[in-house]
Amino acid sequence: MKHNDCANFLNLDCEKGMCALTKGIVPLDGEGSDACPQFREGFHCANCKNFSEPDKYGIGTCSGFEKENWTYAQNGAFCCEHYLQK
Amino acid sequence: MENESRVQEILKRRGLDVTPVDNFTEADVPEPTERFTKLINIYYLMKNTVDMEIPYWYNRFWWENEGDVPVIRRAKAYGAALSRHTPTIWPGEKLVMNKTKNWRGAFPFPWVDASFFNAAAEALMNEVDAPPEAAADAVSIVGAGGGNVTQSYGNVVSIAKKFGMRKEEIPCLVKVSKYWDNGSVESVSDRYSKLVPEFKKWKAYRDSVLIMFDSWAIPQGREVINYYMPLQYGFDRIIELCDEKIAETLGEAGDDGILGMSRGYYYTAMKETAKGMSHWAENYAKRAAYLAGLESDPIQKKEYEEIADVMHNVAHKKPASFREALQMTFLCHLGVVNEDPQSGQSIGRLGQVLQPFYAKDLADGTTTEEEVIELLELYRLKITSIECFASSGVTGGVLSGNTFNNLSMGGLNYDGLTAVTPLEYLIVEAGMRARTPQPTLSVLYDEKTPEDFLMKCARCCKLGMGYPAWMNNQGGMNYMLRQYHDEGMNIYDARAWCLGGCLESSPGCFQPLEYNGRVWMIPGGAAPTAGTGIHFTGLPKLLELVLTNGVDKRTGIKVFEPHNKKLETFEEVWEVWMSWMRELLEVSNKINNIQMDVWRKINPPVVQSLLKADCFKKGQHIGDCGARYNGSINFESCGTINFINSMASLKKNVYDDKKYTIEEMTDALMDNFGFKTAFETGVFSPDRREATENASKYEQIFYDCVNAPKYGNADPYADSILKDYEDRMLPEMLRLRSYYGKQYYMCQISVSTHGPQGAITLATSDGRLAGTTYADGSMSPAPTTDKNGIYAVFESATCYDHAMCQNSQMNVKIHPTAVKGINGTKKLLDVIRAYMRKGGFHVQFNITSSQTLRTAQQKPDDYRDLMVRVAGFTQYWCEIGKPIQDEVIYRTEYDA
Repeated sequence: MKHNDCANFLNLDCEKGMCALTKGIVPLDGEGSDACPQFREGFHCANCKNFSEPDKYGIGTCSGFEKENWTYAQNGAFCCEHYLQK
Repeated sequence: MENESRVQEILKRRGLDVTPVDNFTEADVPEPTERFTKLINIYYLMKNTVDMEIPYWYNRFWWENEGDVPVIRRAKAYGAALSRHTPTIWPGEKLVMNKTKNWRGAFPFPWVDASFFNAAAEALMNEVDAPPEAAADAVSIVGAGGGNVTQSYGNVVSIAKKFGMRKEEIPCLVKVSKYWDNGSVESVSDRYSKLVPEFKKWKAYRDSVLIMFDSWAIPQGREVINYYMPLQYGFDRIIELCDEKIAETLGEAGDDGILGMSRGYYYTAMKETAKGMSHWAENYAKRAAYLAGLESDPIQKKEYEEIADVMHNVAHKKPASFREALQMTFLCHLGVVNEDPQSGQSIGRLGQVLQPFYAKDLADGTTTEEEVIELLELYRLKITSIECFASSGVTGGVLSGNTFNNLSMGGLNYDGLTAVTPLEYLIVEAGMRARTPQPTLSVLYDEKTPEDFLMKCARCCKLGMGYPAWMNNQGGMNYMLRQYHDEGMNIYDARAWCLGGCLESSPGCFQPLEYNGRVWMIPGGAAPTAGTGIHFTGLPKLLELVLTNGVDKRTGIKVFEPHNKKLETFEEVWEVWMSWMRELLEVSNKINNIQMDVWRKINPPVVQSLLKADCFKKGQHIGDCGARYNGSINFESCGTINFINSMASLKKNVYDDKKYTIEEMTDALMDNFGFKTAFETGVFSPDRREATENASKYEQIFYDCVNAPKYGNADPYADSILKDYEDRMLPEMLRLRSYYGKQYYMCQISVSTHGPQGAITLATSDGRLAGTTYADGSMSPAPTTDKNGIYAVFESATCYDHAMCQNSQMNVKIHPTAVKGINGTKKLLDVIRAYMRKGGFHVQFNITSSQTLRTAQQKPDDYRDLMVRVAGFTQYWCEIGKPIQDEVIYRTEYDA
């Protein structure tokens, strides 16, 4: 798993973020981008029970709302009222 | 110094107070707070980033509300997006919220412009499908450009040569954009524009870059936000007010058969909007509480808990402290700038709006000046972090990557007395300590403005950040009374004006804020955008076309039908130029009207329509003339001074002295006086000329063009042409009608378009070479052509009445040694005062040495924090394109 899959991850930009625990800047790719032992699953559609059948690009179905619709795996779900952690 | 001491002694003997009003030098500025320093050091590492969270949620709820009334559907979609995207809070922050989850974040608006993405969809998906690079290659391209992502690398795709997007978000971008292929503001307005009989003419203007801006690209901005509603009521009460209004108006037309019924829909939309804003703030409260739960450091934990409290209150109630009020204004600011691509969404007179909160906290002992300065430093960083996503041409060519969030100070209050508040001193102080490009500061100079405040602002100017800029308050008020007289503008509202965007004088009004047991008349914006209209017409380019009989020699496009005149007199040149200008205005106005009418019909602004004065009172959104004043649409020009100087040269060399025929002059221009073009030399200012084999042929004519009379020397020969130009243009403005049915006016600023428009203009008869950047602004002399000193420039600039137009723009470059020390500050203020008293509308300064800029151009990484004033804005040097850098370096530098 990568840092940006973690619940302790704070977004910064397209190539790096920050760990809320260590306050250190962490890369999203390449060396040093793997998550540490304190990893906790983050809030993304991919981790929601209402998300299913993703294609090779991560686009799948969201059945959490009254009307079913598509969504994408990396979409942030911290504020989604229908998010259910897998 | 000796003379100065003797003067002081004499004044003292006569009993006059000689205490210095601002006894500090530029060396006396304290360091910014540690909190700010830590955060800006992270900012310097940030890449501009776009992501898809907001577009995804917007689209999803747009689809799910298909068939609803457009303004309600839009409010629901936008409210849903605000309510659901990820809030990010970083350790050390006190003031929170961002446009997106990323620090310098932005996002595409395919409902406004989808073609940009749809045209690139295949290429974008190819980048996603490409095999992953080796880990060693998956690193950022670091170097010139600061936060700009100019090329794709690793898992990052460059968008518009400025932003990076993660590869995993590209499929979502493509999928969302495809939906809008035929339904975006751009595509719908394009469909109807093509039905205009003169569409081909307009296309020729655009393809030749005679004009260079589509209004739909940035449909909002260049206006002033109004923070009154949330400060007075808070969101819970606003939602209640909406319910009351819905009950009162839904199903009732009143006496208005056209718009009466729309009031009920408006209030329904405003309720959705207010709910979205409230949810957004509450999400930050939840996020702060979540982070507090993770936090082991007790100090940071407490700070997260404080943020949670502040954000919860801001989500529901009217602010009860300065910190909450500042946070509330920032929430509203972001709410507005996230609803459309926009730049120039001005903060307005924040130090006057928030003074009641500051005064109470200070009196109660719940805050200190230093705590407030810290918050204002953090505010500077927040505003600096606001990015705008638009196409590369708009982002780079027009905006230079800046979003022009202007904060105005000074002017007059409701009672006609100076409006300067104690809080405004702290805003300047924070601007001196925390040196960031935004918010840029503007002083509304008035003879009633306190001397110590003016001195403090002049001292701030000397630090080299390019702010504050200086605007003529009485001139601005006079302009308001002239332009908006027919809409009921009176002296009270005229006093509430300030700058929208860089330099767009915008109407305002005062509204009664009840706070701390009394009523405060606070100013705020009262008009829609002044950022749309007929924009960025290259005046020298139009003159070039007159000489080439309507054909753009660069592209071969026939831009105008041939005039086939021999141009035997100077007046004949004027006549052709004006007739084509008139045609351009009439044709471009039709296209602009369609673009903006489609925008207001299918994409009406909702947050702005909640906030802007009178919308809520009337029950009408911005698009339906809900705002108090609506005559805000304008004509923007570029290259004024090169045009004036070129006309002066033609008059002198061809018509008065008859040294050359018009054909000989045109031939010399077509051949660039025998020099290489800017594209051939790579230098966009005329400080390097490389001869070709034809140079000797044009030696004399080039000499005569360079030495023809020039604007900026108090020479009536050139200045009278400037006055003539202004006099000829004004009636044209009054004749045009915008989509609001109101008259136009002239907006005379260049932003950054003097780079690209100079690039497409051949040599001009003032001696400017092909492709070189135009002189900036509208009142700045062409670089190095002002030979008689700064007061001569002022004399030239004030040869016409600036108050007849929305603005004028003058940039002055001064070497730091010329204004060193306290006496230097006084000298600088004397210079400013002299120009204001002559009726100049605007002046601003780059107080930096050209040598520093040259070195920074060679070694950008060593100057990451260097800032310069470009046009009406300040920008990091390393994030500006080379043509503009060259032009700034070459500007005339005044020394001691």
